[in-house]
Amino acid sequence: MTRLLACIAAVALMSACGNDRGEPSPLAKAVGGFAKATLSRVSGKRAVAAQPASTGQIPRAEIEKYGIPILRVIIPARAADALVTITDTKGDVVTWSTTDGTTFSLRNGVLIQTRGLGPDLMSASAPTLAQLSQNGATNQRAYFFLGAEDKSERRDYDCTLTVVGTETIEVFSRSHKTTHVKEECVRAQGKITNDFWLEGALVRKSRQWTSPGTGYIDFEKVVD
Amino acid sequence: MDFSLRLLIATLAFGLAFATGTAQAEMTKSLNINGATGLIDMPSGDAQEDATFSFSTSVIGPVTRATISFQITPRLSGAFRFQTWRDWNTLFPADNTKNDDRSFDLRYQVLSEGRYAPSLTIGLQDFTGKGLFSSEYIAATKTFSDRLKVTAGLGWGRLGSYGGLGQPFGERPPLASDDRGKPNVDQWFRGDAAPFGGIEYKINDRWTFKAEYSSDAYTLEDDTRGIIDRDSPFNFGIEYQKGPNVRYGAYSLYGTEIGLVFHLVLDPKSRATGGVMGAAPVPLNLRPARSADPDAYDGGWVTQADAGPILRENLAKRLAVDGIIIEDIAYNANTVQIRIRNNRVDAGSQAIGRTARALTYVMPASVEVFEIVPVVNGIGASKITIRRRDLEELEYAADNASLLRDKIAISDAGPVPAYAIGGEDLYPKFRWSLKPAFRISEPLKGDVGLRLNAAYDIRPGLVFSGTIYKRLAGNIDRSGNPSTSLLQPVRTDGSRYSKFGDPALERLTLAWFARPAKDFYSRVTFGYLERMHAGVSGELLWKPVDSRLALGVEVNYTKQRDTDGGLGFGEYDYDVVTGHVAAYYDFGNGFVGELDVGKYLAGDVGATVSLDRVFVNGWRVGAFATVTDATSTEFGSGGFDKGVRFSIPLNWALGEQGKRAFGTTLRPSTGDGGARVDVDDRLYDSIRDYHTDALDPEWGRVWR
Repeated sequence: MTRLLACIAAVALMSACGNDRGEPSPLAKAVGGFAKATLSRVSGKRAVAAQPASTGQIPRAEIEKYGIPILRVIIPARAADALVTITDTKGDVVTWSTTDGTTFSLRNGVLIQTRGLGPDLMSASAPTLAQLSQNGATNQRAYFFLGAEDKSERRDYDCTLTVVGTETIEVFSRSHKTTHVKEECVRAQGKITNDFWLEGALVRKSRQWTSPGTGYIDFEKVVD
Repeated sequence: MDFSLRLLIATLAFGLAFATGTAQAEMTKSLNINGATGLIDMPSGDAQEDATFSFSTSVIGPVTRATISFQITPRLSGAFRFQTWRDWNTLFPADNTKNDDRSFDLRYQVLSEGRYAPSLTIGLQDFTGKGLFSSEYIAATKTFSDRLKVTAGLGWGRLGSYGGLGQPFGERPPLASDDRGKPNVDQWFRGDAAPFGGIEYKINDRWTFKAEYSSDAYTLEDDTRGIIDRDSPFNFGIEYQKGPNVRYGAYSLYGTEIGLVFHLVLDPKSRATGGVMGAAPVPLNLRPARSADPDAYDGGWVTQADAGPILRENLAKRLAVDGIIIEDIAYNANTVQIRIRNNRVDAGSQAIGRTARALTYVMPASVEVFEIVPVVNGIGASKITIRRRDLEELEYAADNASLLRDKIAISDAGPVPAYAIGGEDLYPKFRWSLKPAFRISEPLKGDVGLRLNAAYDIRPGLVFSGTIYKRLAGNIDRSGNPSTSLLQPVRTDGSRYSKFGDPALERLTLAWFARPAKDFYSRVTFGYLERMHAGVSGELLWKPVDSRLALGVEVNYTKQRDTDGGLGFGEYDYDVVTGHVAAYYDFGNGFVGELDVGKYLAGDVGATVSLDRVFVNGWRVGAFATVTDATSTEFGSGGFDKGVRFSIPLNWALGEQGKRAFGTTLRPSTGDGGARVDVDDRLYDSIRDYHTDALDPEWGRVWR
């Protein structure tokens, strides 16, 4: 009886109850869901998840003490900044995940898939790490998304690689001597530019285009 | 007349002065106060973007108009409007102070705007109603220099009532009273034709100025009813665009009235959240290479007595994350068949992908073939056969969705394998919920209530279920006046059912779903089928998984229920056998048509045609019309049964996983002709989601 009363109260507040768990409650979700969707787009709350206010201010020792590889992911379009850890490794593809299930799959540091962002990169053909370091080399990229009506959409780009030069960059208060490579990609309707900072056979830092809705994502390899 | 022509020329000249020659700019194709693409009260030659769904509500002094519009194809659009006139009896005092009208519009864009050519649209307004808002028009619109749009047009009917140029196609005959509710073909483009025109000037991305010269004399509101004093043909005002979905307008109308409008403009093709939300799937679990670990591929595990229950339990845990329930699992060393009930994931392909991912964790390495059978109402809808190696190879491949689609097979679900391990205790046999519910009878009219649902699965495919509805608030007609229909009031006593049956037992049924043969589906529902009728309903459907065509037959025997929402049949002594043969056809691009021929509830015989545009993300917008041998006098003011329906999935707006939708069916008037029993879970719509015509457009989500 108490449960039934509680239930009626819940319904009065425009949520629903029952054991029919297949369907989330309608109106409460409507309000909360809209707010959540907006938040995740604006403030990046979703990706930041359990991270403290400013990821960049965490001391390096704090991060290194776990003894596991850590990648920093910054999505400027939604002001998201998060530290992510490995959830899957298959050959040269490593999948990194936030605590709330947003994933980034990179092949040798080159982004090929995301999940959980909403406007995701569903799959991609991208240059290999070996191709990246050749000045003047050209390559073709193909990006696949879920577009209007959740239908698969494809974008093809012709890309040219330019070795910009040697640059010393700082990742979480540690200096790295890197080679900056620019990958400029064009198609009839527009152009995108990916930047890679290579440290030997490792992509130390990169800015890679992801999808029309997400734009660019910055990756920094904080702990190897 | 002379004046209006001069104005038109002046307007055009004004526009041309700004012309730059490059006129392909994207100005908003805005809506007018009638919810049609246009100026202020006048239409324009523009069309909305394909599939745009908009809700507009406007107040013009004592007149309120609420309109739902849908861009059916890039050129064709339709609208349903609910209009109320307050102070209706200012000149003729009477009890009712309001008058209501419902109307349909159709418009077709003959020419889209080119470098030199304007867009050109031909439209019918209120073309099948009582004629209070009837008019026809052609309108041309040209954009100049990104900021200015100039529209000029010619109207008939209401839009030809002021400043007419003569009658190019002869006199407009009056609408005979028994032609009400039927297409007023005899009137189209007849009578006085009058020019109208105007401009839209984009001040910046948010603000737009509009001015127009109206050819609507408001004869009904001014001369006949005296509720609006029309002083001038000029209207002007400003509009404010707030984000992509909302637009407001405020205008000075006809020299004496203030007009306000609110538009909600939705694009069913794009999610409000920018993409499919929800957490990432688990990565696939790869098997060890056969050369590295040959023992892992040994099929000996099938002989272990407890293998089945363990596998089933582990799978159930993994699938529960996505609201997927196992009905049955059957396996041998090489193949597993899993029958799933997908309660939450809104895309069939995504549910299949998630199931396949779970299988890679649970099934021993020797299992190479995954057969996934989505089950709806206890019956298999289709069977998706995936080779495990293809999944493993394609997880991170570019364009993995198309590549995987080429390698899988979608076929008839077939019978449950004899060696299947049923999931007796895997899902709750008893389900219940108490939820807020809406009953919407027309735009701006509806009830909010509570609905208690309960269902008990006796076994898969045999369900005992019921619902009780209690109204909380709303403005649906509850007068309780007996119907004056000349036919049996199978529908028109709705106000009595609403008044006396609160709370009401809406439904209490035993439903049995089965697969009598390959490509055949069947349903038998017995009990209180809907709030007005009870009895037995049987249906048989033929639908191969990859066929665009489906054929069905339905037979019902029903008695009309008492209005008190209880179990009795004493109030009406009415029983009837009804039935239909049905053909369904998927025209592609989401257009699904249905033709039903048979006998309806009031004993009338005829046919229903319907066309729905079904979007892969769950949006659905459609229209239907029924013509039977019931005369239009018998049918009542609507002439024949027709209406529009729409359904908006909540996850489209909210981004959460879930299959709930918000929607309703709207009719200009409810009559007793052309009415069908409103039985739940008709077969075609329940199984179509898992057939190729629904799975393929959204197949990309298999990897989501």
